[in-house]
Amino acid sequence: MKFETIIIGAGRSGMAKALQLQKAGKNCAVFSKGRSLYGYNGEEFREMGGTVFMGDGVVRATIENGLVKAIYSENFGSIPLEADNYFLATGKFFAGGLRADMEHIYEPIFGLDVEYLKNREEWFNRDFAAHQPFLDFGVKTDAEGHAIKDGQSIKNLYPIGEILSNIK
Amino acid sequence: MQEKNISINNLEQCQKCSICTHVCPVMAINPVYRGPKQSGPDGERYRIKNNIFFDDTLKYCMNCKRCEVVCPSGVRIADIIQSAKSNYGHIRPKLRDRILASTDFMGSLAHPFAPVVNWGLSLTPVKKILDATVGVAAQRSLPKYSATTFETWFRRYMAAEQQQYSRHIAYYHGCYANYNYPQLGKDFVHVMNALGYGVDLIEGERCCGVAKITNGMMDSATKDAKHNLELFRKEIGLGKEIITVSTSCTLTLRDEYSHILGLDNSDVREHISLAEKFIWEAIGEGRVKLAWRKDFKAKAAYHCPCHQEKLGWGFFSMELLKMIPGMELVELESACCGIAGTYGFKKENYIYSQAIGRALFENIAAVDPDFVACECETCKWQIEMSTGYPVKNPVSILAEALDLEETARLNREVNNTPAQA
Repeated sequence: MKFETIIIGAGRSGMAKALQLQKAGKNCAVFSKGRSLYGYNGEEFREMGGTVFMGDGVVRATIENGLVKAIYSENFGSIPLEADNYFLATGKFFAGGLRADMEHIYEPIFGLDVEYLKNREEWFNRDFAAHQPFLDFGVKTDAEGHAIKDGQSIKNLYPIGEILSNIK
Repeated sequence: MQEKNISINNLEQCQKCSICTHVCPVMAINPVYRGPKQSGPDGERYRIKNNIFFDDTLKYCMNCKRCEVVCPSGVRIADIIQSAKSNYGHIRPKLRDRILASTDFMGSLAHPFAPVVNWGLSLTPVKKILDATVGVAAQRSLPKYSATTFETWFRRYMAAEQQQYSRHIAYYHGCYANYNYPQLGKDFVHVMNALGYGVDLIEGERCCGVAKITNGMMDSATKDAKHNLELFRKEIGLGKEIITVSTSCTLTLRDEYSHILGLDNSDVREHISLAEKFIWEAIGEGRVKLAWRKDFKAKAAYHCPCHQEKLGWGFFSMELLKMIPGMELVELESACCGIAGTYGFKKENYIYSQAIGRALFENIAAVDPDFVACECETCKWQIEMSTGYPVKNPVSILAEALDLEETARLNREVNNTPAQA
């Protein structure tokens, strides 16, 4: 199955992008793992011909020659879903766009390069109400907004919204 | 350490956002029901400690799974509720519940006397008696039984000619196609044969158990499930995919067997598919060709059943129906029809069942289609009874819209190409 654009994540950023592109005449599909409380504006998007895969999460992707070739979801199983361009709007830790183990912080679908402090002790501020450094961690992008994996730009994948690194 | 803080209880994933409560069809019309969040993960925390916290209102949950579809944290809310009913509940299935849930047993009893049974069950005095004695809602039209089962028809007329095909699938017909509406099974066989696939029965298949699970008959459901899984393993070992025509059977075989009954079905899960998904994939991969009838013309409204929402496969049915020339297709706004299998047949649920379905019924009337397209058998009963519009399974619509002879001819060519073997 091929769409012009696939948007992964139906929160505020994902749905805003989906609506914008669908209005511009692009054939978009949105993967919505659960329904976001404040992000979902699916009715308008669907009325304009957009496709929402509600309750379906993207689990992995294939990357060839610096481009995302296809993505795979929970419900579609082994069926590849393709698009010219992909937007990654899966949010940070709470939404599952970023995951952390004891030593690493990683992006689970594409394995993108994530900016974070290597020393775990620096992830947190013991003062609960103070600024928490881990909230600035996120995926890197190049000057044109492409995602980066192993130092190489992926020219058809654009991370947007909360998942972006805010490390200055 | 943090590693040891990760709970094995799925309920701990709940972040209390309450979006499940917002979409629950029961919550919207029944003030007594506490909703999926309280009945599911919230209540479970207490029930684990002591089953004195078990709450009778859990019986109002229809297991439609709409809460799970919208949950951003992957909490299996409806699974928690279904399991709680049997793990902590003191409500035991009544005679009525056992009769409603034993779809294959009742089918095997009733079908030899189908004309008499159907006539009897359509009489108002009989319905009133059933209402007063066992508690089956008198207002409801009861499902009809077929005098000849699908299996009998298949063995008599179709089994022999399946040998001519080089590709085969194993058809899990389920109780409905076998005992109540064999036409669906017949349509499926005709379509698959035209597509160049031989159809094999799964000898000795039992009910998937969806009704037994919601009615708390877990032991019986587990026995049937183990039996079915063994049969599936044999078919898959022979290189066949298991294809069904019912969304609820599919969901049960793929997910409930492991999530609720605790059986390991991971080796068969990916081989169990709904007919619409299988056909859509076969078309996409060039394994089959289609020839449409020139004179087909219809306006259909697609209703996505709740369990199809959970599977996330309504897309395949929509895409197939969109391919049909002469088809005007309207996608109905996603809403529960209210029947939820055996739920709506129970006297105490009838008013809730109809109140839940009202939005959908009004929507269908506003669209005014020639028929409603829907993959679920109990949705069909509910919508036909409540709106008067006929409901057709997409497989049956394909059987009508395809030029079956021409399609068969095209696929004989595909079948005979050595590369496709």
